[in-house]
Amino acid sequence: MTCWSVKRRKTDYVDGRLRPGERSRLEAHLQNCDSCDLEINEMRSVRSSLRNLLKPDAPAALRTRLRVIASYERHVLLETNGSRVRRVWNNWKFRINQMMRPLTIPATGGLLSSLLLFGALALTISTTTRAVQYEVPVYYENHIDPNLVPLELRSSVFLTLSLDGSGRITDYAVQQGESKSFVGDPARLQGNNISLPEFPERSRSGDISISFIPVVYRP
Amino acid sequence: MAQPFWGKTGSLSILAGAQTGVSEEDARILRGLRAGIEEAYEELIERYEHPVYSIVFRLIANPSDASDVVQDVFLKVFRGVQSFRQQSSLRTWIYRIAVNEAHNHRRWFARHCRREVPIGNEHCEHTDPLDFATDPGRSPFDQALDSENRLMIEQALTRINPVFRTAVVLRDIQNLSYEEIAEILQVSLGTVKSRILRGREALRRELTQRDAGFAEAMA
Repeated sequence: MTCWSVKRRKTDYVDGRLRPGERSRLEAHLQNCDSCDLEINEMRSVRSSLRNLLKPDAPAALRTRLRVIASYERHVLLETNGSRVRRVWNNWKFRINQMMRPLTIPATGGLLSSLLLFGALALTISTTTRAVQYEVPVYYENHIDPNLVPLELRSSVFLTLSLDGSGRITDYAVQQGESKSFVGDPARLQGNNISLPEFPERSRSGDISISFIPVVYRP
Repeated sequence: MAQPFWGKTGSLSILAGAQTGVSEEDARILRGLRAGIEEAYEELIERYEHPVYSIVFRLIANPSDASDVVQDVFLKVFRGVQSFRQQSSLRTWIYRIAVNEAHNHRRWFARHCRREVPIGNEHCEHTDPLDFATDPGRSPFDQALDSENRLMIEQALTRINPVFRTAVVLRDIQNLSYEEIAEILQVSLGTVKSRILRGREALRRELTQRDAGFAEAMA
């Protein structure tokens, strides 16, 4: 056996992994080669020194920490029944929960306020005609009669006012939708002072203008 | 009478030979872990806390971080136990995780802490390994002599290539077989032999170069 062969086999030899034949041939070489013998002895020394190293003592706190981890992981395992998907889902749920918690109260308050506000507004906003009861107040000279003209608005209502030269209403007629029915009591409207901004300028200035001014109420 | 699902706890058999597949003892622990049985978690910690700590302690750049790395190892073990395919022994699997975690930490340490200037005995400062290893049964003189030699070996061990150091630690300190080391490192048997040889050679060179008196100390 050559020195090169011993070099290749010395780890196996030191660890006792050589077959008996190889081992005896190597030992025969060592008896005649001081260099190889020295190398083998040094390797043995290194090996025994390493084996004699004291095992480091794990800190006492480590056991407690490992138990805490084990307890948590065991709890998660029982909760998720070993499903990786559920574990990931739970992790995300936890993270989202932690992230959203500071925002929950303000966000909920804002959301509820918005819902209430828009809910109240939505009641007043409509594109379709609804049947509602209105009472059109008419102002007389000496009193107000809010129940003078009870109307049931089922569609757009055309209120046609007849004015005198002073801009006072002398007559009125209500036409509801396409119907030709008129409701009105000119006698009861005498002397009222309803002021309507849509009146023509000529009427406001007192010019005689016996005409019809349509006023449309849209429910 | 039927045997209970969780049987009597067994003892640690670190010095067992090469294992291919899971032993009955491992299988029992695995069943317990997968079923979320508290005693199984406790036994796993009891059996593997110190060996894993010892491996990690020798392989990372900063031994004071060993506890944190061990925690990560056990966390991965607990989480991965459901997907462990039992193609290797439980011990080999856990040690593989420990070695990988130690290497990851070493790389992380090299990136983040190498340029930091330590203040006092804090994080990122190399801690004397002998602080963790004690042998109260010897006289103060012997302890001092042993400590000096051990310190020399420990320091030499930290200076050799981490790839070779891992193989040497697993073989000479953890006393694992070549086959188990090959499984842990996921390399061929020939590579394991080569790494052990080169690791021991590097260690021998370090010791002989650094301290001429090492030969007498080892004698």
